[in-house]
Amino acid sequence: MGCDIVTVSTDTQYVHLAWRKTEKELANVRYPMGADPAGKVSRLFGVYDEDTGLDLRGTFIINPDGVLVNAEVNFYNLGRNIDELMRKFKANLHMFRKPTEVCPSKWKDEGDKTLVPSEELVGAVHEALNS
Amino acid sequence: MFETVKLGHKVPEFELATYDPSTGKFGTFRFADQLNRRRWTVLFFYPADFTFV
Repeated sequence: MGCDIVTVSTDTQYVHLAWRKTEKELANVRYPMGADPAGKVSRLFGVYDEDTGLDLRGTFIINPDGVLVNAEVNFYNLGRNIDELMRKFKANLHMFRKPTEVCPSKWKDEGDKTLVPSEELVGAVHEALNS
Repeated sequence: MFETVKLGHKVPEFELATYDPSTGKFGTFRFADQLNRRRWTVLFFYPADFTFV
């Protein structure tokens, strides 16, 4: 899909290697594991917790122009849903190709109904979604 | 403290030292390379290695 995933925590790359090699749950992880022990990149995205020195569960989608198009941050105790991340990624891919369109809440995948904001659509979203 | 990136704004250049399981090597992720190669980027932050979620 022309997309690169990088995982980031405040651990060093040496700890990443050790964790990847010992934890069998990670056997299929192929993404580069980024090391941010000083919290520099984590602060840039607002996920660095100054009290603990750890990162919150932030997911950020950046388009090929370098623009941040999606941000989601979960607290420590809530894992992320990969289906919702895929939905957000696919929707952003679609809107990058077709900038006049917007993806409504029920949009899941290519082929689902999108909307094109216009004079006619004002007050008529229900009709547009159900036509 | 510098500002955090806002939605709809350009992300400034940054770099990360990496361990890449696909090659087994240490390396560097440079955001500028993503722009030069016209690639999408997903950053996935998590609290710490050797934890549980």
